[in-house]
Amino acid sequence: MDGHPQGDRKKVATYCYQCVNGPDLLTVEVVDGVATKVEPNFAVHGLHPADGKVCVKPYGLIQKQYNPNRILTPMKRTNPKKGRNEDPGWVRISWEEALDTVAAKLAACRPELLDENGNPKLAFTTGGAGTPLFYMGAFPALFAAWGGPVDLSLGAGGTVKCYHAEHSFGELWHRAFTVCPDTPYCNYVVSFGNNIDASGGVPSARRQADARVRGLRKVQIEPHLSVTGAGADDWVPIRPKTDPAFLMAMLHVLLHEHRTDELDVVFLKTRTAAPYLIAPEGYYLRDADSGKPLVWDLRQGRAVPFDSPGADPALNGRFTAGGIEKGADGQTWTHDGITVAPAHQMLTDHVASYTPKWAAAICDVQEAAIRRIADTFLAEACIGETIEIGGRVLPFRPVAIMLGKSVNNGWGAYECVWARTVLQTLVGALEVPGGLIGTTTLIVGPEFDRMASCVPGEDGFMTHPFSPTDKEHWQSRPEVRHGHTTLIPHTGAGYYAQPLGSSTFAWMRMQGRAAESWVKPKPPEVWIVYRCNPLISHSETNRLMDSIAEFPFQLSFVYTMDETAHFADILLPDCTDLEGTQLIRLGGTHYFEQFWETEGWVLRQPVVEPQGEARDFTWIAAELAKRIGLLDAFNSMVNVGVCGIPLKTDGYDFSLDVAKQHSPDEIWDAVCRAASFEVTGGKASDGLDWFKRNGFRVKPFPKLSWYLLPRMEDQNLRFELPYQERLHRIGEQLANRLHENNISWWDKQLTDYEPMPHWKDLNLLWDTALEKNYQVKADDYPFWLLTSRSMQYAWGGNVTIQLMREVADNVIGHGGIQMNANRARDLGIEDGDRIEVTSAVGTTTGKVILRQGVRPDVIVMTGQFGHWKTPYAKDLKTPSLNSLVPMHMDFIDGTGSSVDAAKVKIRRLGR
Amino acid sequence: MTRYVMVADLRRCIGCQTCTAACRHTNATLPGVQWRKVIDIELGDYPNVTRTFMPVGCQHCADPPCMDVCPSTATGKREDGIVTIDYDICIGCAYCAVACPYQARYKINHAEFAYGKDPIATEEKAFDGKRLGVAQKCTFCSDRIDDGKARGLVPGVDPDATPACVNSCITNALQFGDIEDPKSNVVKLLKDNNWFRMHEELGTKPGFFYLWSDE
Repeated sequence: MDGHPQGDRKKVATYCYQCVNGPDLLTVEVVDGVATKVEPNFAVHGLHPADGKVCVKPYGLIQKQYNPNRILTPMKRTNPKKGRNEDPGWVRISWEEALDTVAAKLAACRPELLDENGNPKLAFTTGGAGTPLFYMGAFPALFAAWGGPVDLSLGAGGTVKCYHAEHSFGELWHRAFTVCPDTPYCNYVVSFGNNIDASGGVPSARRQADARVRGLRKVQIEPHLSVTGAGADDWVPIRPKTDPAFLMAMLHVLLHEHRTDELDVVFLKTRTAAPYLIAPEGYYLRDADSGKPLVWDLRQGRAVPFDSPGADPALNGRFTAGGIEKGADGQTWTHDGITVAPAHQMLTDHVASYTPKWAAAICDVQEAAIRRIADTFLAEACIGETIEIGGRVLPFRPVAIMLGKSVNNGWGAYECVWARTVLQTLVGALEVPGGLIGTTTLIVGPEFDRMASCVPGEDGFMTHPFSPTDKEHWQSRPEVRHGHTTLIPHTGAGYYAQPLGSSTFAWMRMQGRAAESWVKPKPPEVWIVYRCNPLISHSETNRLMDSIAEFPFQLSFVYTMDETAHFADILLPDCTDLEGTQLIRLGGTHYFEQFWETEGWVLRQPVVEPQGEARDFTWIAAELAKRIGLLDAFNSMVNVGVCGIPLKTDGYDFSLDVAKQHSPDEIWDAVCRAASFEVTGGKASDGLDWFKRNGFRVKPFPKLSWYLLPRMEDQNLRFELPYQERLHRIGEQLANRLHENNISWWDKQLTDYEPMPHWKDLNLLWDTALEKNYQVKADDYPFWLLTSRSMQYAWGGNVTIQLMREVADNVIGHGGIQMNANRARDLGIEDGDRIEVTSAVGTTTGKVILRQGVRPDVIVMTGQFGHWKTPYAKDLKTPSLNSLVPMHMDFIDGTGSSVDAAKVKIRRLGR
Repeated sequence: MTRYVMVADLRRCIGCQTCTAACRHTNATLPGVQWRKVIDIELGDYPNVTRTFMPVGCQHCADPPCMDVCPSTATGKREDGIVTIDYDICIGCAYCAVACPYQARYKINHAEFAYGKDPIATEEKAFDGKRLGVAQKCTFCSDRIDDGKARGLVPGVDPDATPACVNSCITNALQFGDIEDPKSNVVKLLKDNNWFRMHEELGTKPGFFYLWSDE
């Protein structure tokens, strides 16, 4: 056989969406009904940004399918006591019993959907940045049919394990839930720990590789030399959590060591708020009649509304003018003959003291390096050059600054994202070819039409759905346990708002150690967990365990047993990646570097028969809907488009009979027909069978829609930078609301609403917080413990897959604790020694991996491990940083985020 | 004449191991047997450190030392340059594994599967007992090449005639083709870029070329 199985052979097309960079389109070879190998879907060559290649994770799906540790029947717990050391007493039960049990619990949550504290009785937790939705079939229609809020605040790691500041501010400023360089055109990237080659998926890897060969230069500024750093031209080993100082110094170089006319003056004057005049109370000076922000017109020598035709607004200087100023809660000041300055001048003043020399000492990097990088960023921006895209002439600005995950969350993240985006505006490299561009919109929406989210709002900017902070509309009573609409206006209240609230805050509230003036929340009466493992992926995991043990009813959809499922009451085995059915959108612009010139739909279909009694998620959803009397509503939600597209429009009607229970194939056939109609402009209405044969269907997507600038120009809109007048007002109003309600425990977070952020000493912040709250000496914790993304594992939930462990072990850092070899030698530690790592909240142990590519004051644990229940993974003895990361209000920033890092000490245990 | 060679562009490789996994799938090798893999190399002293990912495996040498030491003539070389092992003749002495300067050969005496002694369904379907107790290594997916050529396909161009690692490579770091064909992709790559071969000084004349930005 030579390793090649004989028999009845076929190839089946499907998709992988184990991470946010999906879908990857693949084919699976099936021999005599057994899945044998994964290959790229070569049929998508030329249509997909990377010609249909798939990353390493889908290759694990074969072992996932036949993993002997799979749970293949519904199970129920017989031991009511929950705890790590309690045997749940699992017994197999029928689907009938399982569904009846779950339905009864759900029915008991109705009709009063909220508990006495006003929190939802039903909670749902998932992971993978929402990617499990691409495996849940029509289940979201059940939530939509529920009739009230479902609590999503008990997160598995989001707001700590995400690019949180970028999500919050990127979408406000340029519709960028995530950002990337316009890699095909970019020539110079300054990357602060952005590990794109491990986290960006296949399109990113391909685009980055093409760019490197073309000549793109990259400087990687990070405490340890990552996978991505390997491909960079320079590595600058910066001291952890000092990135804001570096970025502020770059601003200083551009604003104080270069002339203004070296910057992109046209862009600043026409597409940003740089000319807007700032009045004494910190708000825009406005025209008394129209209320419009004023600029200083150099031609007329007076202040005029920002949109006055023919005006040439000043960027620098101080001027005498009059007008009104609108503060918080309707407060208004009238000014006459006051001295005002444009926002650009204010910015210049703001960074005057942030010199490269100052930053060099903080960051532990050479002053000359900071200056060289800033100068190169400016020189490479090609200010004045243009390029034609889709028949339209656009600025060509091939420079971008990228930020990594740990730069993007917790204190200092606002500073970094703000300084980075302002730097992009100074050279006109925002949302133009070659520059920094956004990918998707989740706060503003619609998710798959970024251009449509560019809608005019106030003061020449785009709209943004901030949650209200005015006295009349502020939501004083938290809607869900983390109170996102109450405390974090940035998130809005849309479909993706809850996952952007503070999961750390939610869990701390459950533990009675946050928001002391609010009542401690009750656990949800029903908690559903799917494709995540908070007891591994969140912070202070041991403490989280105690909270979960108190939950009265937990339903876990499971693949294998895991740490969180150990606490469940019912386990349900849903179809895995190769067993279920779902049609989803693909293409356009989406996540990290998904920039397609096509868009359309792709099918996940049963490649092989389900193992055991695993069931399709859509079937499970319909069965539960029927049992709790929501079948009509469930079908109605499918009809209105919860499965991705409405089943009835003016052009077609594929809607389902709402009174009947429909099979998964019937539901997806209708969705396929609607999708076919949409993608062909009404020429076809092919159903499920067509997609099963062909796998996907796409139509052209205009490349011009990769960039927001044309849409901004068409509507004469400006990027809301550099001065954050609106956030300043919102912060003031939020402070008023909270203080009116005697809430002072959010005061530290309120300091994060600066109109232009000042540098904060984050190392001092950590040391102070540790000594104040944990009765330790900060000097005893001399190392920063950091983590790093593993492409082989990230988001995949694949720690049980032998193949992933095997191939991941070829990449330095997996399976142990990375440490600088010279520092280790000084401490008497040798490669392979076991060490104990202790933070203020926990201890773990692991094997040392010595490297030169790590700062001496840093240790690194790649990925997320520390399993004690998950089969296979629990035998890997791989440490995780998560259990050592403290949850404390002092570490939560104004957007609700905290960083996944910790100050630690180490001790050698022996070989 | 034809000589098939592999070209690995080190500027492109990110060490993702997709090729490693694809090879394991396509050739149904046992756990730990990686005919193709990418090694992670860190050089220098802090803070002057570089990190490079390097795909490795059988170099399909024109003058393969493994063939010279083989007492049973199990190791051979095809006319198209692919170095082969005849499992029926191999006596498992492992001289070849010792002689190979690229550490490209494996010898497994007992089957251990992904989850222990019992194979999962896929492993059961694809298990090849002939490979136990003998030398094994990368074949350049010669069966795919032969099957593809028989159907008029071009190795290195058509996926069905191309090694699985090349097909899978997400950065296009791996390319495959006929170095004797002046129009082939590999000839163009070698003409347009700096390249080196591993252990060139040993005179093995490897059929595996590495592109790099420096001489």
